[in-house]
Amino acid sequence: MMPMMGMQPQIILLKEGTDTSQGKPQLISNINACMAVVDTVRTTLGPRGMDKLIHDSRGVTISNDGATIMKLLDIVHPAAKSLVDVSLAQDAEVGDGTTSVVILAGEFLKEAKPFIEEGVHPRSLIKSFRQASVLAVERLKELAISLEDKHMEEKKDLLKKCAMTTLNSKLVSGEKEFFAQMVVDAVSKLDPSTLDLKMVGIKKVQGGGLRDSFLVDGVAFKKTFSYAGFEQQPKSFNDPKILVLNIELELKAEKENAEIRLDDPAKYQSIVDAEWNIIYDKLDKCVASGANIVLSRLPIGDLATQYFADRNVFCAGRVEGNDIERVTKATGAKVQTTVNNLDPKALGTCARFEERQVGAERYNLFMGCPQARTATLVLRGGSEQFIDEADRSLHDAIMIVRRALKHAQVVPGGGAIEMCIAKYLSEYSLQFSNKSQLFIKAYAKALEVIPRQLCNNAGFDATDVLNKLRQKHALADGSGKNFGVDVNTGGVCDTYDAFVWEPALVKVNAIQAATEAACLILSVDETVRNPKSEVPDAASGAAAQAAIAGGRGRGRGGGRGRGMRR
Amino acid sequence: MSLAFDEYGRPFIIIREQERKSRVKGIEAVKASIMAAKSVARTLRSSLGPKGMDKMLQSPDGDVTITNDGATILEMMDVENQIGKLMVELSKSQDHEIGDGTTGVVVLAGALLEHAESLLDMGMHPLRIAEGYEMACKVATENLDKIKTRFEFSKEDIEPLVKTCMTTLSSKVVGRLKRPMAEICVKAVLAVADLERRDVNLDLIKVEGKVGGKMEDTRLVEGIVIDKEFSHPQMPKELKDVKVAILTCPFEPPKPKTKHKVDIDTVEKFEALRDAEKAYFTDMVQRCKDSGAELVICQWGFDDEANHLLMHQNLPAVRWVGGVEIELLAMATGARIVPRFQELTADKLGHAGSVTEVGFGTTKDKMLVIEGCPNLKAVTIFVRGGNRMVLDEIKRSLHDAICVARNLVRDNAIVYGGGAAEISCGLAVEEAADKVTGVEHYAMRAFADALQAVPLALAENSGLPPIESLTAVKKRQLEESNPYLGIDCNDVGTNDMREQNVFETVMGKKQQLFLATQVCKMILKIDDVIKPSDYE
Repeated sequence: MMPMMGMQPQIILLKEGTDTSQGKPQLISNINACMAVVDTVRTTLGPRGMDKLIHDSRGVTISNDGATIMKLLDIVHPAAKSLVDVSLAQDAEVGDGTTSVVILAGEFLKEAKPFIEEGVHPRSLIKSFRQASVLAVERLKELAISLEDKHMEEKKDLLKKCAMTTLNSKLVSGEKEFFAQMVVDAVSKLDPSTLDLKMVGIKKVQGGGLRDSFLVDGVAFKKTFSYAGFEQQPKSFNDPKILVLNIELELKAEKENAEIRLDDPAKYQSIVDAEWNIIYDKLDKCVASGANIVLSRLPIGDLATQYFADRNVFCAGRVEGNDIERVTKATGAKVQTTVNNLDPKALGTCARFEERQVGAERYNLFMGCPQARTATLVLRGGSEQFIDEADRSLHDAIMIVRRALKHAQVVPGGGAIEMCIAKYLSEYSLQFSNKSQLFIKAYAKALEVIPRQLCNNAGFDATDVLNKLRQKHALADGSGKNFGVDVNTGGVCDTYDAFVWEPALVKVNAIQAATEAACLILSVDETVRNPKSEVPDAASGAAAQAAIAGGRGRGRGGGRGRGMRR
Repeated sequence: MSLAFDEYGRPFIIIREQERKSRVKGIEAVKASIMAAKSVARTLRSSLGPKGMDKMLQSPDGDVTITNDGATILEMMDVENQIGKLMVELSKSQDHEIGDGTTGVVVLAGALLEHAESLLDMGMHPLRIAEGYEMACKVATENLDKIKTRFEFSKEDIEPLVKTCMTTLSSKVVGRLKRPMAEICVKAVLAVADLERRDVNLDLIKVEGKVGGKMEDTRLVEGIVIDKEFSHPQMPKELKDVKVAILTCPFEPPKPKTKHKVDIDTVEKFEALRDAEKAYFTDMVQRCKDSGAELVICQWGFDDEANHLLMHQNLPAVRWVGGVEIELLAMATGARIVPRFQELTADKLGHAGSVTEVGFGTTKDKMLVIEGCPNLKAVTIFVRGGNRMVLDEIKRSLHDAICVARNLVRDNAIVYGGGAAEISCGLAVEEAADKVTGVEHYAMRAFADALQAVPLALAENSGLPPIESLTAVKKRQLEESNPYLGIDCNDVGTNDMREQNVFETVMGKKQQLFLATQVCKMILKIDDVIKPSDYE
């Protein structure tokens, strides 16, 4: 421990090295830490948002997605970590708006900071913030425009607009219309009652332009490892029957630990034959079932490959589990664990099967499935990082469309809705005659961060644009309530008419989650960090060196912490 | 990593191992990325075009590669910088998709970034630049569609295909022999192409090489070449019109896969076992004979006893043939792969016109050439060259040419090379830029300028005065509105690429533009780089 406080004897309550910091300074310090994190993702917001390149032990990621960046930053600061959680929760819940939620939470804290410094009790802030968030959500729901009553075709078009808004800020924005269409098509293929995300497969093939990406109304997967004889199999079928297995089709020992003892050499051949008969029997049954395509999760050996090739049957072994699952959903085939008593009903079918060259890979495509409750997006792009980012972007878009299908309510984007709520809240705050008035006003001001950040990222004069927006929103007849930032001209425009739409749910969730996170951080006045809690983490994260570094960092932090408590 | 301090001067540890990470933010990050990408592009610049130079690369274990192929150079360079790696991937994906133009795409991306840098200095938002590039890219690809020409070819008339392949090969080490080489490639592709579906499975073209001999000795084998010899030295070296049996079972007594043990307690039993084993051999050979096979190709080995028996029965055999070759052989000869001797019947045999064992020079290396197969669905290009490095480079060059031929089978549209397409696109983009207001106007102009990097590099590498040659061609293109004028790299005396027969596929060109623009956007969009600081 650091020598300090002169002669005063020190009472040691906690374990050596424990970091305890408390009181107002701790609260302020937490807020500052959060601000530092927010600053990292701040620039990714909006259509002119930038990407981050993060290089860690697992490789390189280039991303614009708030949740991905927060996850990869590997934040250890306990308070700042709650922001990561908020972002991840938003990702899990709605899939988009992960950056907005972090920025909002950061801004709430920033607005709260001067009050805390002036000695306001955090609790009263929390109370008002919670109240404001309830009001904001109520107002938002009033403002939301429902698409429920629209007819399907029209609705699809509207969904596309939502998807486009999401894709706007991503690397694939150049082709947003193309991808939005693709995403909407893919999601509308799904079973409307569950909208199971697993049923949309995303496959990545390096090479080609973005526009070479395509949607398969069925299943696609990469050619599996094949044995000699595979090329002799037919590679395309119309209306094939598909048999899906979960057994190995290989000449092998049937029982692992069995041993055969022979005392008569004459019986030798019969044992050999018996083994062959077992496998041939299996293969015969597969063929006899009338299947044209045999898929298995387990290996299909060379013997089987050649046997099927002889009988004009296509086979693929070692197909990945989720591909198999989607094949069964799409074609109606049922996974068989035995070839005995194959029921013709257990076979699936699709309109067309084909093996096709995609970039440097060959892909198996099952198209036109009768119960097409599944779709596969095959993404193409220049580099691995590029496709990975495209994948994340499309994931966001898919989530949005999925959400919007379920809760078909949209709000205008481009900061319009935030401005509108901010105006409503600051007006509403005047009804209070106590401190709440101030706090709710601060909350309202914090909401304006979204349009402000949009402007900043696009290189516009934020103050100018914001004032224009305030003026529009203050119009008495309410005609300006849909006005948001126009990133193309640097002015303002009616974002509802410009089709910059976001599902209301995203915003509701973002406001609620951000408020919760901010309140959580505000309510903490002491951090007790156990020295041990960090070490195993650091050791598992990197080499022993890292543990030493971690130790050093902690030692210093601890020392300062004590010093500060004085 | 830059530390954040609170008002008490106390640093936060926000990120794990914060002090061991470095971070570059904002415009510096963009500039640093551009710098890295540019230096990668600069390396490749001198390899572009028919007069481009080769690079010699030594791998960590001392293997030397000499190549002119952009994708190979970058891959072997082992770039560590992350942005540099993006360029490597860029080249690789051009290689995967098109197979040719791997140098051009990197040079173009480098030029685009270089021009973006000066725009950044003017204070433009990086994304606006990227958007301008995207708009320009669209204009350029539309222009490509406008100036493209289609040509028809058929199995008989391969001339146009050969000419395009020649353009690809002209920048390679085989430039001297581009005509025969191009013919080989085109014939190979057409042999395996499915012209109806416009699909070519490149797995069916095997490129096999052997050190020694002259490049001129390279030839197309309408069949298979395998790096094996007959199992017995006394077997005939040449077979005509043979029936081939392809086996995936060894000439051995069959073994059950289950663990087994034979208890022998008497001499009689031992004798019986020995006889049985012997009987197996004779039985196997007899079955082969009975089916009418005249050549046995076996995936596995067989011991000397079996070998002797085969020799004795006058049944030539090849052993230890790999799975891929087995498959190709089966497809070429029309044989079915037989997993068991019991199943060997006459209708499962394939047919080959001739099987020859070829020796090379004074070495003991021998290879089997199987030709005259009924079902010409698998071909081999047999490459000869002075040393391993040349051989490898020839293989890579042929791969490029084969890819070009394949692309033409898929889509028979072409544009003219020698920078003609780039200049024409550049002019089109410039014209379109004038109609655009806003920041994008500058970006599009920059794109047009960057497009000229290719003809500039071509001229430079050919020893021509780059600016004079480029401007001369540009002027003529404008005046004559003739998009077929390019840089006269080979000093033929004309700038008209139609006369020079320098073609490139539209597919490849478009891909170059798309990929380069894409990568530019990606690099321009990064404003924050976080990486371990001790990372070298």
